[in-house]
Amino acid sequence: MALRHPVTRIPLRQRHNLVSAYLYSTASLVGRSSDSVSPGTNVGEDDIARLAACRRRPLSLGDLLKHGRPPLSKEALLDSANFTLSLLPARLAYRIQALRNLPFIVVSNPHISKIYNNYLQSLSTLLPYQQRRISTIEEEKQFTEVMANLVQTHTNTIPILARGFLECRKYVSSADVTKFLDTHLRARIGTRLIAEQHLALHLASQHVGEKDTKQRRESVPPNYIGVIDTALSPARIIKSCELFVGEICELKYGVCPRLLVGGEPDTTFAYVPVHVEYIITELLKNAFRAVVESGNEREPIEVTIAAAPDVPGNHVHEVGNHVHEVPQWLANSSSHHWADTDFESRIRFGSDPNESAASDTIRLSGASSQSITIRIRDRGGGIPPEVLPNVWSYSFSTFSDNVSTSSNGNIDALNSISGSGGNMSSIAGLGYGLPLSRAYAEYFGGSIAVQSLWGWGTDVYLTLQGIGKIE
Amino acid sequence: MQKLPYVVVANPHLSHVYEMYYKAFEKFRVFPEIRTLEDNDKYCDALRDTLKEHLTVIPNLAMGVLECQGLVEPEVMDGFMNTMLRARISRRVIAEQHLALTETFNSPWHIPDSMARTDLNADFVGEVFLKCNAKDVVERCGKLAQDLMVQSSGSNKIPEISVRGHLTATFPYILGHLEYIIGELLRNSIQAVGERYKDASSQPPPIEILICEAPQHVIMRISDQGGGVPREVLPYLWSFNKGPHTEIRLENLGQVPAMAATMQELTVPIDRKHADKETYRESSLSSLTSRPPNLRLGMGLPMSRVYAEYWAGSLELHSLEGYGVDAFLQISKLGNKNEQVTERASLDAL
Repeated sequence: MALRHPVTRIPLRQRHNLVSAYLYSTASLVGRSSDSVSPGTNVGEDDIARLAACRRRPLSLGDLLKHGRPPLSKEALLDSANFTLSLLPARLAYRIQALRNLPFIVVSNPHISKIYNNYLQSLSTLLPYQQRRISTIEEEKQFTEVMANLVQTHTNTIPILARGFLECRKYVSSADVTKFLDTHLRARIGTRLIAEQHLALHLASQHVGEKDTKQRRESVPPNYIGVIDTALSPARIIKSCELFVGEICELKYGVCPRLLVGGEPDTTFAYVPVHVEYIITELLKNAFRAVVESGNEREPIEVTIAAAPDVPGNHVHEVGNHVHEVPQWLANSSSHHWADTDFESRIRFGSDPNESAASDTIRLSGASSQSITIRIRDRGGGIPPEVLPNVWSYSFSTFSDNVSTSSNGNIDALNSISGSGGNMSSIAGLGYGLPLSRAYAEYFGGSIAVQSLWGWGTDVYLTLQGIGKIE
Repeated sequence: MQKLPYVVVANPHLSHVYEMYYKAFEKFRVFPEIRTLEDNDKYCDALRDTLKEHLTVIPNLAMGVLECQGLVEPEVMDGFMNTMLRARISRRVIAEQHLALTETFNSPWHIPDSMARTDLNADFVGEVFLKCNAKDVVERCGKLAQDLMVQSSGSNKIPEISVRGHLTATFPYILGHLEYIIGELLRNSIQAVGERYKDASSQPPPIEILICEAPQHVIMRISDQGGGVPREVLPYLWSFNKGPHTEIRLENLGQVPAMAATMQELTVPIDRKHADKETYRESSLSSLTSRPPNLRLGMGLPMSRVYAEYWAGSLELHSLEGYGVDAFLQISKLGNKNEQVTERASLDAL
């Protein structure tokens, strides 16, 4: 899955000079992306303004599940398509507007302008559908293809943006970059989820009469609803990520620390597996690297899985009724974070009782939410106090140290990106791991906290809010 | 306090506190200049009386703040409480420091010419306990908390406490503060584990404490498996005046003012600190430290954080709901110039 290795494959030569880097990468982009569109696409200014002004609904896991368990009926599938269609253009328009509000010189950067154009183009392909409802299977199929294209186009957004902002670091303050990226990436998570959910539903419910129905159905385990795994086992994901990270680690350092899983490894909950996979991989990478580099590879990394007892339904119902967007206690706990995040990337807790009642195949039992906490404890020496304040900002990596201080910092950082693009086995580098993981975790009301014991090790706490039991 | 809305200070508890401060201010304002040792003795007596009298401040404040819930924004109240407590720490430390210095001066073995640091009692300079051994303190507080738990619950499901990491770590600190913080944390942990395993057949899992020493600081991590903090309580963990259990807390607090006066006398003869060091120094915290564990005041954590932050440390808590809690207490090694001197100075001015 593309999310797992947000690395670019665009070749990048090491350039000291910003200008030549510009020239070079412009050339490479033009040569590479024939589909990139000039700013004067057929999207009207007023369209963007109008759409961006639309009220964007916060997305909940419940929203994604409301169309029922695949295979969907024809109506449900069309519903899903229309639902997807109703959300996406406004979201894209809003992103376009946010990009437009960046300083001119930043959007002039070829990487960032490429992303900008991608968004413009995606919006223009969606706009024709805006005028009407999707009412036949053929239309739905066509729409799904457009969707698939869209998802494909935007796969590399993160590394490209990363490079763009890296090159622009002279012109924007890193606080602004962090703020923009935070909002952008969070919004992107939602947009992609909506699109991918529809794609997955479409795939899983290819209609009766088509020959490969059986085959397709078998390829999707029954506990999946679109991109959501209703019986996601954190322990299993940890194991597979351990293997993956362990391999890289072995390759790079020749040693590989052990990993102990404790707590309640049998627990399962409903969540988006791709997100969990991404987060766990990033966290394990950090832990493995720290342990090996501090020479403590004999000390095992301890992972503890804790499952909160299900909160009784009535409690959550109360929350759902009182607060429509973010429950107070949730908002308090991370208010600093939501304050500057735009509406579309906010989450809504649980699901609207009316909405879940509308679907007849899936009922959320009392809309209770499960909460899973995973603690990853390593003996890798901890995070130096002077680094600690920076761990949540984008493009800060311990690997390319002194990026901001040394004069050739830019090159180091670029190297590490291109390095990870080249052979993908680089264990550190992009510097997006932690903040992006946090964006994923917080998207559905979870959190990540890092506690460093400098001189000993680091504890990372990952909390994820599942969607509750599904009958 | 004068800046708070009238309705808040009109609360009997808060107005009591206000009166006490007013009286104390008046007492010291008119105090004649100290010229002789006799003057100083008198002054010390006054200080001691005031300190003792003001032991009831914290419970009164806490009750007042809880009762005024809803009258003022919770954030304002928490801010007020934090400022009050911090400023109170400064005042008491200054006063107690002077008392302790005087006491050292008056002790028979004191040679006026020698430096304080070189005298027999070198572990102390006035109030600041120079060498706190993290492991010793933890074990002492753990023992006390365990005993209290046995007394109150009569249960034998008391978790063991295991300490590992840098066991030799020492740092200068005010012992009373450190004991209070660690006491509160351990008390929470022991209680949570004890309750969770009340009916279990197996022995409860131990509370694991890790001591980590770095040049600038010492971090203690206290991990229990007591089930964690329910998520609806989590946001109120650090607040003095909001949260779901206000009424119970208020009721419990009602019993504390009496304790602050009576428990004090009860505990003094057996208090390990005084027995050890033969110096009688009363601390406002010892009464709180040794209260029965079934009294939940709901202010152990915010209070502990105030004390931890006062000396440039920090206190963090991470809950693994359904499993347990990790508490991180970071203590700066004092004398490293990394105390927040300026911030404190501005607080002292309050």
